[in-house]
Amino acid sequence: MVEAFAVASGKGGTGKTTSTLALGMALADSYDVTVVDADTGMANLLFHAGLADVETTLHDVLVEGGAPVEDATYERFGMSVVPCGTSLAAFEAADPERLRDAVADLAADTDVLLLDSPATLASKSAVLPIVLADRVVVVLNPTIPAVSDGLKVQEYALSYGSDIAGTLFNRVEGDIGDVAAKADRYFEGPLLASVPETDAAGEARAAGEPLLAHAPDSAAAAAFREAAAALDPADGDSGAVADRFRTAVIPDPP
Amino acid sequence: MIPDGELLRSRVVTDLAAVLEDALDRRLDGYAVVEPRDALLGDTDDSGVVTFEDGVPHLAYHVGSDRGGPPALAAIGPGPYRLELYALDATDLAIAHESDDLRVPPGMAAERLAGAPDLAERTRRVAGTDHEDGRDALDAFLDDEAAIAELRENARTEAKARAEQWGFEDAVPE
Repeated sequence: MVEAFAVASGKGGTGKTTSTLALGMALADSYDVTVVDADTGMANLLFHAGLADVETTLHDVLVEGGAPVEDATYERFGMSVVPCGTSLAAFEAADPERLRDAVADLAADTDVLLLDSPATLASKSAVLPIVLADRVVVVLNPTIPAVSDGLKVQEYALSYGSDIAGTLFNRVEGDIGDVAAKADRYFEGPLLASVPETDAAGEARAAGEPLLAHAPDSAAAAAFREAAAALDPADGDSGAVADRFRTAVIPDPP
Repeated sequence: MIPDGELLRSRVVTDLAAVLEDALDRRLDGYAVVEPRDALLGDTDDSGVVTFEDGVPHLAYHVGSDRGGPPALAAIGPGPYRLELYALDATDLAIAHESDDLRVPPGMAAERLAGAPDLAERTRRVAGTDHEDGRDALDAFLDDEAAIAELRENARTEAKARAEQWGFEDAVPE
């Protein structure tokens, strides 16, 4: 079985990578989870997962005659994690077309595939994870730009035949009252959770650990677990998901 | 570090409030190049650059003094100014905007460059940095069903147009 989720927000700074790894760790209690840094242009996942020093990353898989994706897959915190590297030269040499094959290979051997997606809708390769995923988790902050961009992500996903898994209000300070409920009226999926702003998120990143490993007893960690429980991954056909990735449209080179 | 953007306007202005307000209303991703009077006369390179994200001033840099952040705003001299406003894709600003070195608080450009406290206040609300006001603004935004319907419709139209451009047509359901 496999279900592919894109974790997306239209803008940066919403805590998307923190959310991806938190959802991944929470789901890993019950499922085989693979997390992929699908933001090949701005690698971030590696810092959050203690993989900053690894030799082989997804970039090495995406080059001509590159390494098999297994070589860039690391078992960390109960999940399989596939990070991108930070070298601009490696990014430029990488061919996003190969991302489809790499993800198709990963889909054959996992229950839940989480794609940490680029924080933009401005290019074909940035939108590709949203097109390919079964469902999209929209990460919002309680600000007008974040909610506006989250709505755009939703409309792109729905336009391309992907469903909305739900919204995650992240970095919430204080009581946001009716705001989450009001926003929920405009989003297709359920409100998965409201996650309080916490210094632990930055500390976790600095320590190279997902939030759920660094501060498992924090209120934010509890909210992420609540969100993960509401996701209820579907028992999808691995072959069909792999085929979808293999046969998907070819993105432009970066 | 920041590529050239698309020139939106180029003119001499005496007051920067209108252009900052325009950037905010457009939710501009891009930057403004501001050359004060002295620079126009060729005395000194006194020009400054202010970047915008979602219409909110984000970074400031002053060329003559090589200063960044709030000191850069202070270094930009009095008007009139030659003003050039550029749009840029947010992805082209993302790396620069990750740096804290040149960061300015959201309302500071309106206060320092334009002497416009009301605009500064509005900018802070849009940026969501004034949490209580930001929340009120978000609340009001979410009550505006017509504006949100328009935003969603525009995004759908854009997604479909890009599906053709990007070869995603197969993904678009009938």
